[in-house]
Amino acid sequence: MKKIYFIVIGLIILAGFYSCTKLDDKDHTAIIADQFTPQSGDVAALVGVPYTNWRTLELGRSANAVWRTNEISADETVIPQRPNGWVDGGIYQRMHYHKWTSDEDNCYQIWTNAYAGITNCNRLLYQIDDGLIPVTAATKTQLEAELKVLRASFYYELIDFFGNVPIITKFDVPAGFLPSQSSRSDVYKFIISELTTNIPLLSATNDATTYGRFNQWAGYALLAKMYLNAGVYTGTPDWADCITACNQVINSNLYTLEPVQANVFATENQNSKEIVFSIPFDNVYTADGSTAWTLHMETLEPENQATYNFQNSPWGGICAIPQFINTFDPDDSRLTDNWIQGQQYTASGAILIGSLGAYTGKPLAYINQLPGVDSSEEVHGFRLGKYQIANGELVGMSNDFPLFRYADILMMKAEASLRSGDAATAATLVTQVRQRDFNSNPAKATVTAAQLSQPTVYDYGLRNHLATTHDVVSDIQYGRMLDELGWEFAQEGRRRQDLIRFGVFTTKSWLSHSPNGAYRTLLPLPTSAIQTNSNLKQNTGY
Amino acid sequence: MKIYLQNHFDWCKIMKITFSQIVIILIFTGMSYATTSKGQAVLQRRLDVSIHNLSLSTTLKQLEKETDLKFVYPKSLVAGETDVVVEAKQQTLGEILTAILQPRGIAYSYIGDRVVLSKINAPVTETEQRTPQTDVTTPVNNVAKTITGKVTDEANMPLPGVTVKVKGTAIGTQTNVNGEYTLSAPDASATLVFSFIGFVQQEIAINGKSTVNVQLKGTPSNLNEVVVIGYGSQRKSDVTSAVATVKAENFVSGPVTDAAELLKGKVAGLSVSNPSGDPNAQSQIILRGVNTIGGANTAPLVIVDGVPGDLLTVAPEDIAEISVLKDASATAIYGVNGSNGVIIITSKHASGNVINEVTYSGSISTQQISKAPKLLTAQDYRNQIAAGTRDSTYDLKSSTNWLKAISNNFPLSETSNLTFRGGNNQTNYLASIDYRFLNGIFQQSNHQQITGRVDINHIMLDGKLRFNLGILQTNFNDLPFNTYDYEQVFKMNPTAPVKEPNGSYYQEPNNFEYQNPVSDIYNTDQPQSSYRSKYNATITLLPVDGLRLVATGSYQKSGYLNQYFANFQNISTIRDAQDGVANTSNGQSIDRYLNLSAEYSKVIGEHHFALLAGYEYQDDDTFNSSITNHDFPTDISTYGYNNIGLGAAQKNGLDVISSSRYQTNLISYFGRFTYNYKDKYLLLASLRIDGSSQFYGAKQPFGKFPSVQGGWRITKEDFMADQHIFDDLKLRVGYGVTGNQPATGLGLLGVGLLGYGNYILYNGQWIQTLGPSQNANPSLRWEEKHETNLGLDYSMFKGTIYGTIDLYNNKTTGLLYDYQVPSPPNLYPYTEANVGTLQNKGIEVALNIVPIKKNDFQWTTGFTFSTNQNKLISLSNDLYKTTVPYFTTGNTLDPITTTTNIVQVGQPIGQFFGFKVVGVSSDGKWIYQEPNGKDVPYDQFNHAFSDKQVLGNGLPKFYAGWNNTIHYKNWDFSATMRGAFGFQVLNSQRMNYETTGIQNYNRLASSKDKVFGTAVLNTNMPQEFNSYYIENGDFWKIDNINLGYTFKQLRSKYIHNPRVYFSTLNTFTITGYKGNDPEVPLTGTGLTPGVDPRDSYPAVRTFTLGFSASF
Repeated sequence: MKKIYFIVIGLIILAGFYSCTKLDDKDHTAIIADQFTPQSGDVAALVGVPYTNWRTLELGRSANAVWRTNEISADETVIPQRPNGWVDGGIYQRMHYHKWTSDEDNCYQIWTNAYAGITNCNRLLYQIDDGLIPVTAATKTQLEAELKVLRASFYYELIDFFGNVPIITKFDVPAGFLPSQSSRSDVYKFIISELTTNIPLLSATNDATTYGRFNQWAGYALLAKMYLNAGVYTGTPDWADCITACNQVINSNLYTLEPVQANVFATENQNSKEIVFSIPFDNVYTADGSTAWTLHMETLEPENQATYNFQNSPWGGICAIPQFINTFDPDDSRLTDNWIQGQQYTASGAILIGSLGAYTGKPLAYINQLPGVDSSEEVHGFRLGKYQIANGELVGMSNDFPLFRYADILMMKAEASLRSGDAATAATLVTQVRQRDFNSNPAKATVTAAQLSQPTVYDYGLRNHLATTHDVVSDIQYGRMLDELGWEFAQEGRRRQDLIRFGVFTTKSWLSHSPNGAYRTLLPLPTSAIQTNSNLKQNTGY
Repeated sequence: MKIYLQNHFDWCKIMKITFSQIVIILIFTGMSYATTSKGQAVLQRRLDVSIHNLSLSTTLKQLEKETDLKFVYPKSLVAGETDVVVEAKQQTLGEILTAILQPRGIAYSYIGDRVVLSKINAPVTETEQRTPQTDVTTPVNNVAKTITGKVTDEANMPLPGVTVKVKGTAIGTQTNVNGEYTLSAPDASATLVFSFIGFVQQEIAINGKSTVNVQLKGTPSNLNEVVVIGYGSQRKSDVTSAVATVKAENFVSGPVTDAAELLKGKVAGLSVSNPSGDPNAQSQIILRGVNTIGGANTAPLVIVDGVPGDLLTVAPEDIAEISVLKDASATAIYGVNGSNGVIIITSKHASGNVINEVTYSGSISTQQISKAPKLLTAQDYRNQIAAGTRDSTYDLKSSTNWLKAISNNFPLSETSNLTFRGGNNQTNYLASIDYRFLNGIFQQSNHQQITGRVDINHIMLDGKLRFNLGILQTNFNDLPFNTYDYEQVFKMNPTAPVKEPNGSYYQEPNNFEYQNPVSDIYNTDQPQSSYRSKYNATITLLPVDGLRLVATGSYQKSGYLNQYFANFQNISTIRDAQDGVANTSNGQSIDRYLNLSAEYSKVIGEHHFALLAGYEYQDDDTFNSSITNHDFPTDISTYGYNNIGLGAAQKNGLDVISSSRYQTNLISYFGRFTYNYKDKYLLLASLRIDGSSQFYGAKQPFGKFPSVQGGWRITKEDFMADQHIFDDLKLRVGYGVTGNQPATGLGLLGVGLLGYGNYILYNGQWIQTLGPSQNANPSLRWEEKHETNLGLDYSMFKGTIYGTIDLYNNKTTGLLYDYQVPSPPNLYPYTEANVGTLQNKGIEVALNIVPIKKNDFQWTTGFTFSTNQNKLISLSNDLYKTTVPYFTTGNTLDPITTTTNIVQVGQPIGQFFGFKVVGVSSDGKWIYQEPNGKDVPYDQFNHAFSDKQVLGNGLPKFYAGWNNTIHYKNWDFSATMRGAFGFQVLNSQRMNYETTGIQNYNRLASSKDKVFGTAVLNTNMPQEFNSYYIENGDFWKIDNINLGYTFKQLRSKYIHNPRVYFSTLNTFTITGYKGNDPEVPLTGTGLTPGVDPRDSYPAVRTFTLGFSASF
């Protein structure tokens, strides 16, 4: 008997020592990159990654990215303090006052998401080059060109917001590599060079296979944007090249203006022939917090849940700045189509009653008044309704976000023509875009060359519960052209760029905002970037 | 996909199968006691001895082998003594020796490290006792009297070998194996003296009685007791590291939530807090400060009966003792998991006494909020309306105290424990059933736990082969409380009714984040059940002299089933049109553990050596799944999670299904060498090598953790021989290295990983993209804590004063943190990396005094005091240097959403960082002080990052405790008091609910007060994180008071020593803090201590009535 026990013990010890001397980790939620051999069916999933970065770049993981920064730092929309909050550490007010610092989430979101897109493009280019991703020789050239144009599109946002940024095009950098900073004009040259070289290699079709991706025409739209802002980026305008790039898109004959502007922003807008490049959204597939398009939740008051039979009650924040609404011609259908105003009703037609703050128990009717960025009630400010709000919509909307659309191509060409002395062409193009907006008074759709040089109708100046002032506006060249851009492209996350090009952004006042330094045409590099890369120099003024 | 580290062979796979089978067959195990304990306590040690017809000298030799003891005796003494027959199973050595030697007229005594045998010169006979010795005065009633009695220990176990003497005479005897004695006292007024090594000497006057039973108490500063250390035990006098042990009788009493709460205020340097009164919450533990900024382990490793476990593994009532290993030289043997100390829980075990016994203990208790928040009442609302500061629409014509509305009045909790002990010397068992039902102060908030446990010992082959088998099963059935419902208490309009006249719950769906908490509680059904089962086995083999082989294995399986249904009356349907929301989630985790060790000890002259070598393997396999659904066709509550497929949302792609699985393993080798010279100089050195699968792909997946300790027992030196102040004085010094690994859930950090992420629209179809999910860091390695400990153990005036003093200084290097890296070139702006050095140093003092030590009145008082100084020494990575030496962390949460803390080089962890307020203007607007000292009014203040400054620190600088135990006749009384000093608390409730501008939510009554006595806060001041809401947190708590009465005189054949007691927990707090309780969470993320969360379950005061008895 004794021997048996000794044998058992001996066996256990032997088994124990010999069996488990290796580390064995199985993480069933991830794939180890080195051990994964992609098949051709995986290519789309692999190369699609940087396009997801565009979604977060436009909207940010906390919504504080390109769209919101371009909107609430400008003169059309604002996020005031609401009875239910929207203070959030004062970030929205600082954006309005132009008092932002390098710690703002906006700086961080735009920087990290743009560079995540760039790094993903670099990685994929490296992997394709190394044969790690199985692409056929036939598609390789086009795919590489697409990734380079896509990469340039991320640099476009970087040059627009930060100006002086590092250019990095390689993935396999040595450990600890710190990129160095390039000047804004060098970044400009790089983007132009990348685009002009690669656009001709892109697909020339415009159908489901290229929707949401860069084809040649989306590439030219991006190129036109670069040339349009060349004066801002380099000090030397380039209107002629802007017109050429716009003509490439126009002459493709693949795009047209929608008969009704609302079609471009419909819930199901993916078939719109006005869209040149869009960031696709879906209320199911892009529904998680970091990628959802939630403008309807951000702008409507909670009571509006009953208007649209939402599953959730909206959060009530962003609204129009009254001065901007006042610039609209009353016959312009964009005033009523794009802005939610007046008494609000339930889906069945009963009037909605306010339930927050001083207007509790009173009818919920949006009025074109706003005490200031630091104070508001539920009724204050017209709400953003340009993007169709579907009945029963979820927290995220399904409307694809049109980044470049045909009307924009026409308006870019119009502005470039106007600025290079061809006011007649400009007037024709602007009129072309306005045709669909004055059904009640079609004559008003027509704009003359002379009108485009008139001053803006925007009554700049402080206009809040603390102060009322009036700024001189005669110094704004082509003020009417700026107004036209505002009327057509309001809520499209671009106003800041237009105001900078027209010299208004850091010179005029609106609502509670006063100019706070010309250097604020650029954002500061985010604190985290400065802190982690000693090669980076902060932008002037910050 | 299976990943192997280098150097694996095919036969490994084959053997692994073998191993698994053996693990399953053997169903592994519990606690292995190293039994090299030398010393006097060895007389209490229980042995198995089977001797038949051997000579006495052979018998003694065999006992020497068994016990590592040396018997010293003249040969003549044992000559001719044969036919020794001993059949002892788990009897104490004292019992065995007495049984063998007493009949042969041989006495034994323990001197130094030896047992000295001598002839009982004058066997104490009655005849001789009647003969008065010289110098004995003859008392008045000089009548000899026969006294009988029984001597027992504190556990009522008989004590054999106790010397019983008549005071002032040479008359004496010893107790027999059953602890009984008989002697003749010269007169009825004589006094008996009971003495026994390791116990407090007791004197009892006969007072005419003929029976004198005595219960001896262990020497308080018992240096000879055995202390559990990592992978074994040591005599306390041999311990050379900072170890504190608390036994069951000294535990905090009452319905504690877990094992750690038993230690509250008992161990210097160990901070245990229960900031939440939630019956489902667990204790928070910090030992010697915050030692990591991003490592997985922020609390001590918990070892339950030799196997890694947690604080809920055993029911508190089943615990016999808890050891806390404090310094790294003690915990280095636990390697990668030892950097925050180790708590070793020893559950009650079967013992070899042939005593069949049933013990019952039970209690009922009730609770109340220790300090309830005061909110504006309905009358306050009406006054405000009358004063014009509130719109009349806010008066909803009712009057509700929302806190009362969600509370239970005096919730009753109960605990019951039934323990059976029995068996014989060869096989014995302990079985217990433990039932706990903890009822929270909020409605529908409770915790139910049923634990069954069996512990069986089996001994064979003359004690050379021992088996210990343990089976444990715990079932939990809980109703968790949503703290969001407590948040609503602060928001709800006090003029609103709980229910409308039509019987439906009052709701205001359009008021943002505002919902009737009573409705939430009753229209949400969320039962949660979970279980843990543990099988463990230890096989101990003692093949040759001095060698001990132990195999310990355990198989633990735990699982949970959490269900949730919010019915149609819930706000989720009323406001969000969800038509019922159901969730069912479940998961299981399987942990396997194997430990094989060999220990060899040898004595050569005055040199004692012991060598321990071992191998340990642990793996874990965790699986979770969850389904959420809504849009149910009907509000029949028996559907919901019971028929989750009925919801339409899942079919429409609107809800979530998920599952996940992780498998990890940890491989370890360890060794330890101990050396003892003359009991005077002590040395211990150990090494542990750990490899963790999380470091797969990293350059150094294995880490080495050495330690060395030395001890010097000064009182053993000749120059100390003549002093009478110190009984014992031992100087200890130790140095050790321990580790910490990256936070759990982060696997495979050393390699590039791909994961499926966001969707893209590709050719009209939404497809999921596949991309890198992290920045790989192949240089990732263990975080290492290097700790030096200097200690002094002292015992003075025959155990009247005793305690320890420890000084420690440690540095954690290679701090693991999700470090900000430059992007570009990195894809993600954060990489898990080793990024800096953190220092903790402090002093721990334990001082115990026994001011009164009389027969029927004993008073023991103990003080603990500890300090901790914490400092971040550096913050940078090998590859990337930061340009600023700090990062911010913590969050105030909605709606303020800003960071609360800064972690900065040269400063401690826990610094509050924000705007400093120095006053308010006459119109109630903040006046700030800029960091340069300049005062700025609200409207001119920038609120920029550069305007923030350090506003305080949330980590206490000092902890103190004062424990008192008093025994008076049958009464026992104890009181535990403790406090923490030198820290600040962020009062999030005040920060959120003292704002005057918010009308749609209620607020604290204190919002009516003038700020700084100047003015009420202006209604235009938004909620803000500033220094006004940071308060001093210093507190002194009279925590646990316990008053008990034991019916010792009860002479029942069936019931022994019944005891009733009354106790309180968290009884009374002296503090200037305005919130519920200044004892706020210190752990959590670890970097934001001292934040009193806005909505957390409030702390409670508990009253308990308990009863225990054995049968």
